[in-house]
Amino acid sequence: MLRWFARRLLLAIPVVWGVVTISFFMMHLAPGDPARTALGEKASDASVAALRHQWGLDQSMPLQYLNYLKQLVHGDLGTSVYYHAPITSLMAQRLPVTIILVVLSAILTMLIAVPLASRSATHPNGLAAVAVRLFNAVVQGAPTFFIGAMLILFLGVRIAIFPAGGYPADIGGRAWALVLPALTIALGTVPIMVRGLRAAMIESYGSEYVAFARSKGLPERPIRYGYVLRNAGISGVSILGIQVGALASGALVIEQVFAIPGMGSMLMTGILNRDYALVQACTLVFGLLVVVVYLGTDLAYARLDPRARLS
Amino acid sequence: MKRLKTLCGAVVLASTVVLTACGGSGTGSGVAQSGGDLVMARADEATSLLPSVPTDNASIWVIEEIYDTLTVPDQSGKSVRPSLATSWTQSSDKLSWTFHLRKDAKFTNGKTVTSADVKFSIEQNQKSDAPFSFIDTVVTAIDTPDPATVVFHTKKPWSPLPADMALYANSIVPNNYGGKSATEFAAHPIGSGPFKFASWSKGSSLKIVKNTKYWRKGTPHLDSVTFTTVPDSNTRATQLASNQIQINEYPSNSSIKTLKAQPNLTVSMFPSSEIDYMSMNVRRAPFNDVNVRKAISLAIDKKAILEAVYYGHGTLAGGFLSPTTWAHNESIKPVPHDVAAAKAALAKSSHPHGFTTTIMVGSGSQDSSSEAQLVQGDLAKIGIKVKIKTLDPSALSTAKHAGNYDMAFGLYTTDIVDPDEIARFAGTYDGGSNTLYSGYKNSKMDSLAATASSSSQQSERKAAYDQMQQIIADNVPYVPLFYVPGIYSYGKVKGFHPAATGNYFLEKVQLTK
Repeated sequence: MLRWFARRLLLAIPVVWGVVTISFFMMHLAPGDPARTALGEKASDASVAALRHQWGLDQSMPLQYLNYLKQLVHGDLGTSVYYHAPITSLMAQRLPVTIILVVLSAILTMLIAVPLASRSATHPNGLAAVAVRLFNAVVQGAPTFFIGAMLILFLGVRIAIFPAGGYPADIGGRAWALVLPALTIALGTVPIMVRGLRAAMIESYGSEYVAFARSKGLPERPIRYGYVLRNAGISGVSILGIQVGALASGALVIEQVFAIPGMGSMLMTGILNRDYALVQACTLVFGLLVVVVYLGTDLAYARLDPRARLS
Repeated sequence: MKRLKTLCGAVVLASTVVLTACGGSGTGSGVAQSGGDLVMARADEATSLLPSVPTDNASIWVIEEIYDTLTVPDQSGKSVRPSLATSWTQSSDKLSWTFHLRKDAKFTNGKTVTSADVKFSIEQNQKSDAPFSFIDTVVTAIDTPDPATVVFHTKKPWSPLPADMALYANSIVPNNYGGKSATEFAAHPIGSGPFKFASWSKGSSLKIVKNTKYWRKGTPHLDSVTFTTVPDSNTRATQLASNQIQINEYPSNSSIKTLKAQPNLTVSMFPSSEIDYMSMNVRRAPFNDVNVRKAISLAIDKKAILEAVYYGHGTLAGGFLSPTTWAHNESIKPVPHDVAAAKAALAKSSHPHGFTTTIMVGSGSQDSSSEAQLVQGDLAKIGIKVKIKTLDPSALSTAKHAGNYDMAFGLYTTDIVDPDEIARFAGTYDGGSNTLYSGYKNSKMDSLAATASSSSQQSERKAAYDQMQQIIADNVPYVPLFYVPGIYSYGKVKGFHPAATGNYFLEKVQLTK
């Protein structure tokens, strides 16, 4: 198991390097001058040129790339030209927010998807199953930002249970403020999860081991949770793993809509201002997050299904 | 050019008088109370609180609350009034200005504001890497004969100096940053303004609290102000509706009607120096032909754009200097929409049958995108085929500076109340933007700008600025489109009335019950 995990870890290195390299060149090849953006419209060309020199932007692209890699190896993510602050300190503020948001979304996804999938799998032709299908179609068809806006309108303004956006200073307020954005992201994932889980559960219900358990006279409840859901959970874990990767990108839009100061909104600001160091650092961290989640998914999968370890 | 993003809304008025008459007074309903925390939601976050560093409004308008400047713009944006300096005089040879400082102003660390602090502060903004250093390059030396007197020596007679001293970048910081490095100071700034820095959670909120020892007694009324960053205009609107915030900076145009209909909310439009324009690159054919430029200006139905894109909230622009400045030339009227005249002008040009060109718009700006489509339709009527090209705001700015475009939209505002800065920026080739990126060069414009800045007679200055505006109107390197005010929506707030230069003057603001 340890060797298996170490191999997976080694395989992640080229993935991360690829992310770093692609993001570096994509950002640097895109038009737009960070020095001009930083100094504003009225700064003289001489000031802009001086700043470009100071930041090493007048060097050749391969040299800039090598310098960047060298910097990364030393654990230095650079300084944000937009925020005028070291990126590590910005990350320390922003990363936990996004991680909490993504984890909360994943938990909410499970809390909503499992009962829905379970209900529609046990009564595939019932009214509840039709309602779940309808819910899936509507939620999946609506863009995430629209769902967010609707939630703000009803739960933030009409009923006013949750704040309409923002991120207060106190811990309690923050937890409360994260509910709507997490729910919005979760709702984007729920339909996929429900479909996957439902199909896996229906397949499990038709399997021989369920027929055997029933023939032994085992009640329906332990069969559902001990046999069907446990086995369907294997596919659920992989779906969730893939979706958590997507959740990170969902955070990009949702953090903007709900004014949550996480990595997504920081990345957006970085892109718009050609803040190379900031964008590269965010991309790297998002890349690492996805790699870590996938590793975790593989690990969970291997734990649930020993056949995965053998392969 | 403080504003880096296109304003969501545009309610424009014909003149300052009309602006004031139509605009809100900033007085919400209810009884004013003392104290409380005012929460203002803004689209952008401050980037730095070190006066000589940022160029964005989100920073500038907070800096103006924390620090004092020697002078401050008055509400109308036409002149300056005393602040840290109680009076100022120009020498008889016109080559120096003496400012007398008030003696009761203290920094929040308890130290009295002295001439040494002023000298240090201005010198920070004179450094070549300071984006607004160009404002202070005219100052050759600063003398401090006593703690309450500062003398600025200038390269040439320089009338705009008192207005220059009201610029946020010339805010007064403690000498040598109070013994701290610039980075340390930026993290915990110290000023002598009405509010003092309290905390900053990057990406989320910035809090300033009342300076209880502020020299202007009786103010501020508020205990604190919290600036939150809420990029989405819909979210800001809903936060205001749910009373989570008290002021929404820049409500979207489309929401103004709805907001106005809500009894507990106020939408106010304040005079601003902002002008929206469409620039043409005269370095390239066919825009090097003045008849082509005139044809384009005549063909654009500006009124239709104003109605469709800005929901009618606006005034068509004439002269390139805003009505908020005393130098505005009222005799220059907006170019009328006249397709026949446009065709006639094009017929006289090097491209009588039209041509194909591109217009660049910034991504993420629905307003610019809609404007471009309307311009595309208008120009098609005279045989000019326009392709719309969308670029990131940063890429668009770079392309404009490099002269690598055909036509593009933009906006400009002034940072000081004297017309000098914007007359050079939008009127001269060497003023920072190559005449609003058009590349239009005219030595007459340079000499007029020089005359205006060196003369101490306002009538003489006005004559020069009038002429500059006429030259731009005649040669059309760009089309001034609209005069645009600042728009805010707010709830239980009284006394909120930003200046034409954008200053919030939050020390005058009160929450209401």
